Amino acid sequence: MTRFHAAHSLTEALALLHEETDTRPMAGGTDILVRMRRSPPAVPLTLIGIEGVPELQGIREEPSWLSIGAATPFAAIAASPLIAAHAPLLQDAARAVGAPAIRNMATLGGNLCTASPAGDSLPPLYVLDAEVELASKAGRRRMAVSDFILGPGETQLEPGEILCRVLVPHAPPIARCQFEKVGRRRSLAIAVASFAGLLRVDGAGRIAGARFAFGSVGPAAVTVPEAEALLRGQLAVQPDPAAVERAVLAVCATVRPIDDLRASASYRRALAGNLLRRFLSPPSSPGLNAATGHASHG
Amino acid sequence: MSTDIEFELNGKPVRIATPETRRAIDLLREDLHLTGSKEGCGAGECGACAVLIGDEIRLACLMLAGQLAGRRVTTIEGLPHSALGARLLRAFAEAGAVQCGYCIPGMEMAAFDLLRREPDPSRERIREALSGNLCRCTGYVKIVDAVRLAAAGDAGPESPPDGAAA
Amino acid sequence: MADAVSALAVGWPETRADARAKAEGREPYAADLYPEGVLWAGAVRPGARLGIAHGRIQRIGTAAAEALPGVLKVLTAKDVPGTNRQGIVHKDMPVLADGKIRYVGDPVALVIATSREELEEAIRLVEVDIEPLPAVYDPDTALADGAPKVHEERAGNILAAAGIRVGGGADALAQCDAVVEGVFETPVQAHGFLETENGVACREADGSLTITASTQAPFRDRLEIGHALGVPFEHIRVIAPCLGGGFGGKDGATVQCLLALAALNTGGRPVKMQWSREENLLAGYRRHACRIEYRLGAMRDGRLHAVHCRLVYDTGAYAHLGGEVMALGMEHAGGPYRIPHVRIEGKCVYTNNPVAGAMRAFGVAQATFAFESMMDVLAAKLGADPLELRRQNALRPGDTNCAGVVLENSVGIGGCLELIAGHPHWTGRAAWKAAAPPGKRRGVGLASVFNAAGYGANVRDAAIAKVELTADGRILVYNAVADMGQGNASAFVQMAGHILAQDASRVEVRQPDTAAAYPSGSSSASRTTFTFGNALIAACTQLKARLINRAGLLLFVDDDTALELVPGKVVHAPSRRETALAQLASFMRPEERCCLGEFVAPLCRDTAGAGNGFFVGFPHVIFSYGAHLARVEADLATGAITAVDYVAATDGGRVINPVMFEQQVHGGVAQGLGYALMEDLATRQGQVLATDFASYPMPGALDLPDIVSLACESEERTGPFGMKGIGEVAMNGPLPAVANALADACGVRLWRAPLTPERVWQALDQAAGQARESAA
Repeated sequence: MTRFHAAHSLTEALALLHEETDTRPMAGGTDILVRMRRSPPAVPLTLIGIEGVPELQGIREEPSWLSIGAATPFAAIAASPLIAAHAPLLQDAARAVGAPAIRNMATLGGNLCTASPAGDSLPPLYVLDAEVELASKAGRRRMAVSDFILGPGETQLEPGEILCRVLVPHAPPIARCQFEKVGRRRSLAIAVASFAGLLRVDGAGRIAGARFAFGSVGPAAVTVPEAEALLRGQLAVQPDPAAVERAVLAVCATVRPIDDLRASASYRRALAGNLLRRFLSPPSSPGLNAATGHASHG
Repeated sequence: MSTDIEFELNGKPVRIATPETRRAIDLLREDLHLTGSKEGCGAGECGACAVLIGDEIRLACLMLAGQLAGRRVTTIEGLPHSALGARLLRAFAEAGAVQCGYCIPGMEMAAFDLLRREPDPSRERIREALSGNLCRCTGYVKIVDAVRLAAAGDAGPESPPDGAAA
Repeated sequence: MADAVSALAVGWPETRADARAKAEGREPYAADLYPEGVLWAGAVRPGARLGIAHGRIQRIGTAAAEALPGVLKVLTAKDVPGTNRQGIVHKDMPVLADGKIRYVGDPVALVIATSREELEEAIRLVEVDIEPLPAVYDPDTALADGAPKVHEERAGNILAAAGIRVGGGADALAQCDAVVEGVFETPVQAHGFLETENGVACREADGSLTITASTQAPFRDRLEIGHALGVPFEHIRVIAPCLGGGFGGKDGATVQCLLALAALNTGGRPVKMQWSREENLLAGYRRHACRIEYRLGAMRDGRLHAVHCRLVYDTGAYAHLGGEVMALGMEHAGGPYRIPHVRIEGKCVYTNNPVAGAMRAFGVAQATFAFESMMDVLAAKLGADPLELRRQNALRPGDTNCAGVVLENSVGIGGCLELIAGHPHWTGRAAWKAAAPPGKRRGVGLASVFNAAGYGANVRDAAIAKVELTADGRILVYNAVADMGQGNASAFVQMAGHILAQDASRVEVRQPDTAAAYPSGSSSASRTTFTFGNALIAACTQLKARLINRAGLLLFVDDDTALELVPGKVVHAPSRRETALAQLASFMRPEERCCLGEFVAPLCRDTAGAGNGFFVGFPHVIFSYGAHLARVEADLATGAITAVDYVAATDGGRVINPVMFEQQVHGGVAQGLGYALMEDLATRQGQVLATDFASYPMPGALDLPDIVSLACESEERTGPFGMKGIGEVAMNGPLPAVANALADACGVRLWRAPLTPERVWQALDQAAGQARESAA
């Protein structure tokens, strides 16, 4: 039988993780309890409740970064003025997670540790160059979110270790950003594909830096540095359509989606390209823009 | 392997011996006989088990008894104790929002949570707030109507407790 | 205080009798029962675990499970005392599989334990060895020569095959000026009720069984249990509290026989069974997938002339109502139109897929997608306005419908189409479409719908209602047809209050209990309020006369017309004397305070040889009608369709309660939009791909528009207060209306449902590819 211990401090949580075998940290429980329902663990697990650990809570501005406690629920991220100011992309993603009750329970750290390819927070954190801080009895370590996540359900988290903070580094101002999630419905949507993109511009309004990441089109969030490079120097408000199409092609060639119950790989690939195209050159007249990735030729 | 767990339930202290891993929904329905909260999916996808933990709406099918310790829990049975809750429940009945009724307690908990934060929400805001609560009978139109009705009644006089409907 | 109240009145938007209790979480559903000392029962369904849909059971190892503390018993087919067969029309479904499993959800053992946790562990520990057998996963394969048989005694895997021929049949297509054709596929749909299949059973001290279950057919359950388990009917009592949704999925055996079997083995302790959502999606009934081939021909002036279609329904491993589903689909395959020459062929085929059964608008929702899509295709070919084409051909009273039945009852399709024709969403469609936001296209789509009411020919569609003046002077209606949420029980309260002039506080309803009410059929087929309501009118009319008569005795009045029932009493206005109902009741013996009313629904007596091969349930005489209008927006980048708004005009005869009328229409449209846009309970090799509500998406509050319901009232002379059932008709419109709106928006037509973003995108991509090729 599974057991549960609620921890009240980080020290206690780390100690509990060490004392028992087959332990798992649990924050909101929205992923781990569903997974355990789907496939009951072969050995009894001990769940260490960490949602009440004060060190894992809260959103703070620090000199180099915005620090977000790993057990901060998405509802708090969705409502935070600090997040609005420093990481609006992450805020948009937080607002797209599940539904209100789920957002009160599900945490940012939980979303990262679940490491689902469809995790809503992953694409924004990739383009924001976010890092994670992990704690164990041995000490702390930091790494990029993109290094932390290894693949579906796999991370660098070691046994006995807890993800304690997510750090969003301060960076030059963003001219425009967008998060978009395409699911099979709007309520409680699970991403068939998701997109996070941001543009930084120079004094002449040209793209100085473009960052994109795509969810649900690969084993983890997918970034496409080649596409980002293709857009450097383009006018942010009206990039050259040929450059946009080259970037779209690069995205379609890079993403590695799979066929599953929700959608086919080919649809997901096209969707990734279409979401990028729509971000870079939003359609202006009714129905004239790309339906399928070919329209800009005309 | 039971533990004594103490929490506040609908304004009253509760102490009950239960395994800490018992699902909150089972604790409420089976052990504490509060069957107003429903289970529709067991996986956080339907909202029928929604309850308030402190001031936040949460899903009792994805909470363990151990997580309730020391918390303030409000279920549908506790909703009539507040003026807003009573008004909301009356509005659901009067607006024709209730058909089979199985989703309704969870729906009302989500609506209550919304109206406490936003007394006068738009229909679109109501739909967003209820987007985690599935209803298979209504098409949601009259549910949204009911929340609007409860919001509109905000400034109005309280009806008598037995509020005979027209 | 009591003087101020007014009696309930038919036609008024009275608050539903169950609304307050449900809104306060007080309504006791079957799932809310946890009797003291209750045991838990659960089925072992090894097909999913083993990845086998069809196989011979070699061994069932129960020792490990039985050794668990807390496990009382593990029962298998050899422990089933009766025929071990259940089924509404065909008794082909075992309570516990004996010999082989025919689909992934077939139960091979029943575990009884003292807690849910122990039950779940024990179910995992039951070892089952199954030798896979060759299987059939689609009707084409199942119908092929030499195909493996799902049931040994069913040659060719055919459950039912039938035909309809009117006029010259398919040959008349040759006379048409325009013929359009298409092949359509519809998906499997889950009912998606929120209260999963469940119940509680107990063997009483006298040996009888009491079962409280979430069921649409308590009286038929008694027969099913008696037959399957060899228990005399009089020893079985079934109680049906309010259901947390049904939609057809609780019409037929789910937990009933398993629970009764468990209760025979617990030494008198109560036992509970509650399916998880996962079990519901694996083993619950579902809507039939259907493939439809269609040819529709018309004359140049728009008159429909001939139709030929073939419908093949996949019924899965067991019959349930598959033959009747097929029959109903065939009966509606010509649409609510005058077509002089008709040929409709139908087959219902066994496969090793999960069991398809009754679901709201069964058979018809599938056929409507085809014929209403074809109507738009035909309109385009003729250069006709799609609404005008429908108006021109709409059935009128006295016409012969596509099943060869002369319509002698109310027919409101014409009026429904008029309401749509005058609606601003239709008249203003050009401007609305032109205002599509960037990157999106807008379109408007129509659907004409109809749905039969009642069981149909060769099945007695009857009800027996009981109404009582209680000892304290209130009115008690003994409902015999389960209320799954559609509000029939509230309609009964309203009817009784109307006839007996009592207010809401003085009329109560008792939900079905086979020990208190009388056999009145199932809650299904748009017949629940119609059939029982008619019986209730008879009972209430009789009670009213009796109360007036008794009041006359007490008040020394011999003129009945001077006596009037009012809330709580009978008054004699000329003398201002009165007697309270409670006082009246105290002068009456218990049996005198009860009245029974009976009703048998009208049946078709003359089918003029239009159909052949039908068993039961064909044809019908009473239909509800509707005309639907959807406005959709398609996102060209993602293929996602949004139903921006939706108007449904419905002819359900006279409206008993306008709010409840809207509830049914809204709900039908909502379920229909789910069917149109996202729902697909697909299988691969007989394995169900969706395991929960995350993988089986249904519309949430953000996915549906503010649906508008318009009533187009007619007078149905056979209906209670002139009404017809409308529980199903609205379900039929959304899929074709949205498909037509998509075609209007983007010029692409989808022949396969649901119209997922991916399918829309593929169609757009293909169309763009063709456009480029033709430009090159």
